[in-house]
Amino acid sequence: MSYWARRVSGAALVLGMVLALNFALFRMMPGDPVTSVMDPDFSPEARERLRQVYGLDRPLYAQFALYVKSTLSFDFGVSFLTGRPVADELRSRVPNTAALLGTSLLLSASLGTWLGMKAALRRGSLLERCVLWSGALSFSFPSFFVQLVLLMALASALPLFPLRGSLSVPPPEGGWGFALDYVHHLALPVLSLTLLGFGGWAIYVRNLAVKVMGEDFILMARARGLPRRRILLGHVFRTMLPTLLTLLLMSLPGVVSGAVITETVFSLHGVGRFLLEAVTGHDYPAAGAAFFLLSLLTVACNLLADLLYSVVDPRVRLDRSAR
Amino acid sequence: MIEIRELSVTYGGGVEAVKGVSVTLNRGELCGLAGESGSGKSTLLMSIPGLLPAGTEVSGRILLDGIDLLPLREEELNALRWRRVAIVPQGAMNSFTPVLTVGRHVEEVLDVHLGVTGRAARERTAELFAAAGLDASHADRYPHELSGGQKQRAAIALALACDPEWLLCDEPTTALDVVTQRGIVDALLGLVRSRGLGMLLVSHDLPLAASACSRLLIMKDGSLVEDGAPRDVVASPRSRHAAELVEALLDLEGGDSE
Amino acid sequence: MKGLARRWGFWCLVVLTIAAILGERLFAASPGDQVAAPFSKPIWLGRYLPPTMELRLTADSPSATLDWRYSPPSGLSLRVEGPAGETGRFVELVRPGSPPLRLAPVREGFAADGRDIAFKRSLGLPPFKDASAHLFPERGEYVLSLTDGPSFEGSVVVRLEGGRYGLLGTDQRGRDAAALFVTGIRVSLIVGLFAALLATLLGTSLGLAAGYLGGWVDAVLMRTVDLLLSIPLLPVLMALAALWGRGLWQLALILSVFSWMGTARTVRSLILSLRDAPYIEGLRGLGASSGYILRRHLLPETFPVLLATMTLGVPGAILSEAGLSFLGLSDPRVISWGRMLHEAHSFGAFAAGAWWLLIPPGTGISILCLAFLDVGKHLEETADPRLRRART
Repeated sequence: MSYWARRVSGAALVLGMVLALNFALFRMMPGDPVTSVMDPDFSPEARERLRQVYGLDRPLYAQFALYVKSTLSFDFGVSFLTGRPVADELRSRVPNTAALLGTSLLLSASLGTWLGMKAALRRGSLLERCVLWSGALSFSFPSFFVQLVLLMALASALPLFPLRGSLSVPPPEGGWGFALDYVHHLALPVLSLTLLGFGGWAIYVRNLAVKVMGEDFILMARARGLPRRRILLGHVFRTMLPTLLTLLLMSLPGVVSGAVITETVFSLHGVGRFLLEAVTGHDYPAAGAAFFLLSLLTVACNLLADLLYSVVDPRVRLDRSAR
Repeated sequence: MIEIRELSVTYGGGVEAVKGVSVTLNRGELCGLAGESGSGKSTLLMSIPGLLPAGTEVSGRILLDGIDLLPLREEELNALRWRRVAIVPQGAMNSFTPVLTVGRHVEEVLDVHLGVTGRAARERTAELFAAAGLDASHADRYPHELSGGQKQRAAIALALACDPEWLLCDEPTTALDVVTQRGIVDALLGLVRSRGLGMLLVSHDLPLAASACSRLLIMKDGSLVEDGAPRDVVASPRSRHAAELVEALLDLEGGDSE
Repeated sequence: MKGLARRWGFWCLVVLTIAAILGERLFAASPGDQVAAPFSKPIWLGRYLPPTMELRLTADSPSATLDWRYSPPSGLSLRVEGPAGETGRFVELVRPGSPPLRLAPVREGFAADGRDIAFKRSLGLPPFKDASAHLFPERGEYVLSLTDGPSFEGSVVVRLEGGRYGLLGTDQRGRDAAALFVTGIRVSLIVGLFAALLATLLGTSLGLAAGYLGGWVDAVLMRTVDLLLSIPLLPVLMALAALWGRGLWQLALILSVFSWMGTARTVRSLILSLRDAPYIEGLRGLGASSGYILRRHLLPETFPVLLATMTLGVPGAILSEAGLSFLGLSDPRVISWGRMLHEAHSFGAFAAGAWWLLIPPGTGISILCLAFLDVGKHLEETADPRLRRART
């Protein structure tokens, strides 16, 4: 009980800080929110009414309370730039971002895990060296550079993939055509994120697998005459699983941050580019909402990681206090 | 019968751990193998089921009822491991996969070697645990939830799961307190005797090996220096070298138990 | 230090630093100037494209012959420099198989561009096409000359803009990409080093405080570390960059504020392990003050590790800066590698197939990061000999 109470209250604290930061940060953005939506010719009365609509006439703490209340009920206000409710804007974009990140994370994690295990089994082989190199490179190449090169090579020079957007304009009619068009547009971004992501995974999995395979209990599993495959999956991989799951969840926020860049490079209709447009356009209800969603995701992932870890790894007692 | 002929083992780093050892172990014989740390006794034990690390050079022969084990491939060895030769590992060793219950380990070998699954496997596990002196409910526990002594009993239950002919015990009581040690050794000996197994008990604890076994081997620097009935070995060692060793080991034990 | 000389990363950094210091001094024009047509290819590419040419006609050498072996130039300009007065002479162009064409009068202060409507009309050309294509339609021998007349002091400069320029071509504004590239090193180095230095200082002092003081200071600091580590970094950086600073120093400051946590944790655990080390206990027993122990023993002990952590932290800052610049959140007047990629992406480098605007800055970032990683690994191994032994 106390373990979960601590975890949950910790998460709530983080979320609270994020809300405060959010409130402060986007209220400090240059350009009074009202002036940015308002015609300079507005009368002072109209100006005042607008300020009331946005609650800017009230004291700061009241504004904050209002902000927290509306944010927690996912009411993010109206976008200054598009004039539509931010929640609606986000709703149309979240599935795209989820599809992009989900697919690429799944692909890079599974490819990375597979290669990492292979590399751990074949120490000193060419494959192992390739894995180590691909990991080092994926840490030092800027993601947008790799993506731009792919875009130029596979969309511009060799027009295999569309240059921009989440769908063709206008999108093709019919379910299958539509789906195919969507996948066609998503393919290159997913490919690029997979390329960028698998190396890090492979290195991590390889190092972890090498460590686990050196443990006494793996030697004993061999002593019991278990088939190699069974040892690998049922003992080595099974032991690594909690750590890998945690890593997967912990990496999500970073991956989501990466969505900003990916969606910008490929001009996708997603939350990341929405955030960028909001930040550059001083659209603070929109920026605040996107930022809040990302933070919520981070906090939820941390909590979920803890939960999963304690389910998958019996060694984690509920009184685990310090990681 | 396990016949070891001129066995030499050199590790990848160039350390020659076993130097031309020849010994024959008979089924139904409780054989103790003592020696200082680094004398090569554990290496000798692990070489029997072919569990030395990759890159280790092994020469000589190890015959299990006439079959030479050294040239066998991993899959061929797997058929022998645990079915015929099981290991009771060091107590201090992290010998159970930490994310599986101890019962799961037993059920797994039952499945792999005997094809016993489901209810039958669970019943068999309960029997084995009871035989090793553990409550059957311990089968659902994870390794870290058991005490050192319980873990060692579970390891014995696991070793006996497939009715092996041979039990190789590598320091089975190290890192346990004296009372627990006694209990474990008694349980182990009882089981080995009642089932008529052959046993090789490796220990640096000479009094334990001497009191528990009917035959005592002593190794020093990779060579076998003594082989005989425990009483004879301790009372009249063949060489001065062995005498010093016996004295040292007995002294050490005396010092330990104070 | 001797081992450092054997690292490729070290020499790479030396070369890049020198290039960063020399910067625009390596180039004739300032990196912001237009030097050639937009999206000109690198000089070593595209033989059929003309390089940029500048011809100078004076009263003493009144004619120049061009052996034209290229497609038409992408621009033409003509201006009269220096004291010339009203000479009554003309600039004439003789094209293969055509009668001489009078281009412009040699009059002091006269200037014309191939895109000027008035210039085209004076030549009798259609107004919607570039004059250069009409003046240099095919391969062959062209002669530019001054008609006879009184002598004058100045000169007539005829400039033919080519489709090739410099080592790395030009960008969408016709700026020299090689000059931009070299200027961009500076931003990456300054931001990377400064942010890493600041983050290390911050992390060290906070880590020292947490580890040495313990108690509630430790609790608060470590909670802050957890908090900062669980906020998605890029959005915060984006907001802050849009909010406060597009300047280099502000950017470095912002980056360091969000990257000191790792160092703080390392320092804290180092201090915790050292605090109870027997020799520190001994010192305390001898009556050494906390400050003395900290200054004379704990800090020197942690210094090599800190140097390594700092060096290894530089790539992160460089990548973050590049990322923000790529997103267009940097000062547009400051040339950086990230900015170059941003402009390549936003202003049609793709449509122009201008890969030379893409590959150099991207590779530059990667090489700089790899070089810092290489040096950092070396420092880490020197700081902790156990690592080196494990690796060999």
